[in-house]
Amino acid sequence: MSDSVATVPDAIKPRRHLLHRIGSQDPIVVAALALVLGFIVGALIIITTTPAVLDAWRGIFHSWGAPGHALKVSFDNVGAAYRTMFTGSIVDPQGFWHSLTTGKGWDATLTPISETLTYATPLVIVSIGVGIAFQTGIFNIGANGQAVLGGIIGTAAGSMIHMPTVVHIPFTLLAGIAGGVISGAVPGVLKALTGAHEVIVTIMFNYVLYAFLLFAVLSTALQQPGQQNDISRTLDPSAQLAPIFGAKSGLRVSWGVLVAVAVVFFAWWLLDRSSLGFEFRVTGANPQAARASGMNARIIVIVVFLISGGLAGLAGVVQVASTTHYIDGVFLIGNAGIGFTAITVALLGRNRPMGIVWSSLLFAALGVGGRAMQATTGIPLDLATVIQSAVVLFVATPVLVKEIFRLRGAPSQSVELATKGWNS
Amino acid sequence: MSVEELTPAVDTPSVRKVPVGRTRVIGVIIVVIGLFSLIALGLNTSSRAHSALTFSPVDILTNAPWHLGTLTLLTFWTNVILGLIMIGVGLEVLWRQPRRGVMGRFGFISVLFLLALLFWAVRTPGPSQVSFIDLTSILVGSSEVTMVLIFGSLSGVMCERAGVVNIAIEGQFIAGAFVGASIASTTSNYFYAAIGGLVAGGIIGWILAFLAVRYRSDQIIVGVVLVTMLSGLSSYLNLQIFTPYPKLNTGNVLGNFAIPLLDKIPIIGPVFFNQSAFFYLMLLLIGGVSFALFKTRYGLHVRAVGEHPHAAATVGINVARVRYINVVLGGAIAGVGGVAFISQQGQFQPGITSGLGYIALAAMIFGRWRPSGAVVACVLFGMSVYLADNLQTYNIPISTEILTMFPYIITIFVVSGLVGRVRAPAADGLPYQAG
Repeated sequence: MSDSVATVPDAIKPRRHLLHRIGSQDPIVVAALALVLGFIVGALIIITTTPAVLDAWRGIFHSWGAPGHALKVSFDNVGAAYRTMFTGSIVDPQGFWHSLTTGKGWDATLTPISETLTYATPLVIVSIGVGIAFQTGIFNIGANGQAVLGGIIGTAAGSMIHMPTVVHIPFTLLAGIAGGVISGAVPGVLKALTGAHEVIVTIMFNYVLYAFLLFAVLSTALQQPGQQNDISRTLDPSAQLAPIFGAKSGLRVSWGVLVAVAVVFFAWWLLDRSSLGFEFRVTGANPQAARASGMNARIIVIVVFLISGGLAGLAGVVQVASTTHYIDGVFLIGNAGIGFTAITVALLGRNRPMGIVWSSLLFAALGVGGRAMQATTGIPLDLATVIQSAVVLFVATPVLVKEIFRLRGAPSQSVELATKGWNS
Repeated sequence: MSVEELTPAVDTPSVRKVPVGRTRVIGVIIVVIGLFSLIALGLNTSSRAHSALTFSPVDILTNAPWHLGTLTLLTFWTNVILGLIMIGVGLEVLWRQPRRGVMGRFGFISVLFLLALLFWAVRTPGPSQVSFIDLTSILVGSSEVTMVLIFGSLSGVMCERAGVVNIAIEGQFIAGAFVGASIASTTSNYFYAAIGGLVAGGIIGWILAFLAVRYRSDQIIVGVVLVTMLSGLSSYLNLQIFTPYPKLNTGNVLGNFAIPLLDKIPIIGPVFFNQSAFFYLMLLLIGGVSFALFKTRYGLHVRAVGEHPHAAATVGINVARVRYINVVLGGAIAGVGGVAFISQQGQFQPGITSGLGYIALAAMIFGRWRPSGAVVACVLFGMSVYLADNLQTYNIPISTEILTMFPYIITIFVVSGLVGRVRAPAADGLPYQAG
């Protein structure tokens, strides 16, 4: 990103008051405000679509107290929805207090946060891959397909080949990475050699891989024996990422978390410490400068796609190995698939490893909380997807956020990557 | 010399001359397809087998007075001849290396190959239960998908000629389908539904334009996120509104409107003159968009804005206004496409558009950002989508998955310059900043 390269180092900048900072164009402030706006959009959607709320509004002309009542019903519904989202994804304060005082029921208390971590684990991995590509000025919309192929090959390695746990888990993970690398190589090589725009290639290749997924899970090799449906074989227990707290606790959070942590460290090292990462960032910030200083743009494009795809593949296999242990014909497919969420996560996290960790946790919490919200209040969990997308639309348009909240300072374009058009 | 031929000011590396090698690659591909048809589909079949070709759609009883009988052909010789024709065209491409019309030849070969494949699949005595191909049924069936794709890719052409990338076609389809389903169910009138879809798609287009033109956001990101948002929103509203009130989503299908006399013509009649109103609207739109973009003053402005906005602004064209108008119109077209889609499907379900918007995008790219090219691509892709869905009926021995992959793979080929050459409008996807 441009600001990481071209701006004045922090030490030289005059110190600013916290208040000043809140009123300014700090990227974190913009992200937080975008989040607020996203939740406001979500609240408006709940108010305008929930039958109970609409009934209350319909009666506002019937009595003097009715408008107040309608407002109250609206706030109650929105409040209940967001409250269950919180308790369902992070912690239920009552349950927490109960566990703390009596020492019992910790499993139930920790379930929401365990679910959030389970959901966030592959999301962090794939988002870091997307973020690294973004930092190089490359838009990898194909992360979803790459994760799918990683899942397919990882499942094949984990279910069709048998070996002891110590070898099998790394082997399965490596197989997943290989799947991602293969599918990342296609857009990378095509872009480097022929100049094909990676966005078009990755979108199209996603659908090619979805079709391949269906082919794979229906093939005799990978299909669950004795099944006619699109269900694959189950991973050997030796290839599964076991729950950290043991299977008996019911907490699903698995050792996959360690994989995610390792990926975060890898990304930090790659981007901030290695010369390759420096070349990535220079290429992303200023391709001409990169070329002028002797960096080979083609090689960089290919390497970035291999890394980005490899991480997406790893995410796919971690998803399989830590949750379902098998894949089916709709594994990760759809616009709310993990690779698409990863784009939004990477943007919200400003493509930096730690930023991505926080935004993955946030989006994972939204997703998991959405499920709890649907179960308790009946408001469909897809609201979480809508809120996420709204947040990212605002993050991608910082000037709009600035205008809404009348922030000071010159507008900063937080997303300045793929604005190069089809011909570049 | 039209504006379209203007050389872009920035000489980006991907805008290069076609290397002669590419034409040769196409030639080789065509020859290989021809050889495959000749050997696997022709020489390999028993010389006694024959294939029947019928021309009357099964579901239409009133195909008199003009009615074509069944055409029965010897599979062996038909496919041998088809294969030889393909090889001939391939050799011609290799030999003469024509500069124009290579893609046209490629399309022609695809059609011939499809025919050869169908002949081979339905040969009797053969493994298939179906003993004949109904050509008209295939055309009518695939015309439904094709129609929706054409709406989508015309929307893409409108936006991208003005320099705004519209990846959100899928989102506009979803919006149009959702609104269309609810309006059609409550009013039982697809005219109102079409208006609703027009408005819904237009609003999505306006959001895209608002963020991309006014705030110069990244158009691709906005597009992708809009699709994600609408797919989530439609699924949310489906559970929140359609499930408790099933009357809002009854799923009435729009019937066909046969044009008297003309619909009696064999083959052409059922395909072109016995269709839903949306089909005729689509035909009008193809002409309208082509005319507006290439024959009017406004179209000249649009293309100038898409190729070189600064130059356009210098001669007094309001770049932002042109982009706003075109993106909103484009969104509206795709929204109507969504209604057209739901008018065949009936009930709305989440995920019902299943990536058709992206195929439409692919078709637009394959058609080189021109309405006419996009239409050809849509016909080809529509056919492959239809056949992928109906493979069991025709018992074609290629897997569904491979046919499903076809539009995407060929688009990848096209953008990587392996087959033909594409060049987007020079300023496509670039935010415009005055001054």
